[in-house]
Amino acid sequence: MTTRLERIEVPDAVAAEERARRVVLAAFAVREPVPRPRRRRRVAIGVVLAACAVALAAASPPGMAVVDRVREVVGVERSAPALFSLPAPGRLLVASDSGVWVVGTGGEKRLLAGYSEASWSPFGRFVVATREHELVALEPEGDIRWTLARPAPHGARWTGTRTDTRVAYVDRSGLRVVAGDGTGDHLVASAGRAPVAWRPGSAHVLAYVVADGLHVRDVDTGRVLARARSPLRTGLHTELEWSADGRRLLVVNDGVVLVFASDGTLLTRSTREYGRVIDAAFRPRSHQVLVARFRGGGQSTVSELESGRTVFSGTGVFDEITPSPDGRWLLVEWRTADQWVFVRLQGHRVIRAVSGIAKQFRGKAVVEGWCCAR
Amino acid sequence: MAGAGRDERAWVRGAQRGSASDLEALFHAHWPAAYRAAYLVIHDAALAEDVAQEAFLAAIRNLDRFDRRRPFGPWLHRIVVNRAIDTGKARALRRESELTEGDAIREDAEPPDSSVLRALGGLPPEQRAVVVLRHLLGYTPGEIARLLELPRGTVNSRLRRGLDAMRESL
Repeated sequence: MTTRLERIEVPDAVAAEERARRVVLAAFAVREPVPRPRRRRRVAIGVVLAACAVALAAASPPGMAVVDRVREVVGVERSAPALFSLPAPGRLLVASDSGVWVVGTGGEKRLLAGYSEASWSPFGRFVVATREHELVALEPEGDIRWTLARPAPHGARWTGTRTDTRVAYVDRSGLRVVAGDGTGDHLVASAGRAPVAWRPGSAHVLAYVVADGLHVRDVDTGRVLARARSPLRTGLHTELEWSADGRRLLVVNDGVVLVFASDGTLLTRSTREYGRVIDAAFRPRSHQVLVARFRGGGQSTVSELESGRTVFSGTGVFDEITPSPDGRWLLVEWRTADQWVFVRLQGHRVIRAVSGIAKQFRGKAVVEGWCCAR
Repeated sequence: MAGAGRDERAWVRGAQRGSASDLEALFHAHWPAAYRAAYLVIHDAALAEDVAQEAFLAAIRNLDRFDRRRPFGPWLHRIVVNRAIDTGKARALRRESELTEGDAIREDAEPPDSSVLRALGGLPPEQRAVVVLRHLLGYTPGEIARLLELPRGTVNSRLRRGLDAMRESL
């Protein structure tokens, strides 16, 4: 058994080791060793010397740059110890090991325990969440409106107008759609897989993953409007997102971002030259794409896809990026620093950071959505 | 073996004093087994990379508190396997991309020992972890019980059930 386990080929082993080596060494380079009591005097002398060195370095303009870089190398130095408020109106949905959290603009948090993932209804009045064998629509305060027993539902997304909504999700039978009041559940495509993304607008048009690429389907008529044959690696984490006007669809898969027109024509594909794409998002109300990448040397960046202009960078690994509903801020989940960093996208550059995210959300936290200024 | 242990203690001591080259030596000595163990428990290369990487980052954060008279490997493997079990359970609930086993096999070239991988994949994460700790990393049931903070009887029963199920599958 030992020999057979040792002979199993682990995919991407060499590249994975190199990526991990860079991250680990970068984190090690900026760690703060805990002084041992018996060496207090020597450490104190070291601290004084280090402080003198930093002061001397900071005295010259190039030195200032070095100091700034050190401050931001693994985490923004001046960070809030807790999420006291959001910088923009709206509420966050956050999934963690303990369940799904609703976070208000003033930093107030409510735990919806027992759910593994969730997303907002179109106007943020309700949440659709999943647990082991149940799809659940509930109010953000926790009151359940309806439930639907299904085998291993996941990837639920809600769309529609104030009077007519649909929820798409995937279970073991394939891609299914149910009305916003929990009625009329039906199978749309047995080959459909998560993730799914509703095209903005009043028509019920849905993009979803199939074995050989993407389909865009009108779920009311059943007609497939577009097929994009793309070599997606379906075993890997995939993201789908429409632009606000429904004319562009971005896909993140296997370390690259692809942008399609609504008819399935591939418009842009990122190269791996600038690193592995972790996440991407449209700037609200535009076709500009922001991309989070893990680059060489243990560095991660968020930059504009077309211009390459860097919006934010740091050491280690970023997770997801989420624009605020008003488009003024971008939330960057900085996993290595255990911080959330809010970067202002409009006007002069402002950065606000919050530390201790895992502790606040009782486990690894993932932002599922930021919805709906009221 | 004793020489390897001395090397490791020297690397830990050096890393605690801030030596990047000693930390790198520790990384190279332990990454392959950590990544392989995570992969065999989770069955997803990207998630396994995350888990093994986060285990090393956690180890760095706690390096100053580490008792260097003890071996580094079990300490790291405990973090890796516990995180891999948690991730495996969370993944079973989240299922970001529904991929049946048949699809996965069609998509990738058949690896040389895919039957073992498939058989292992059929076990719950807790049983996979015990099989990996016993048969890949070479821990005794008593050591596994201490690593996972489980009764020894539980380790033995998970191991027996896991191996029985794998035998049937193979």
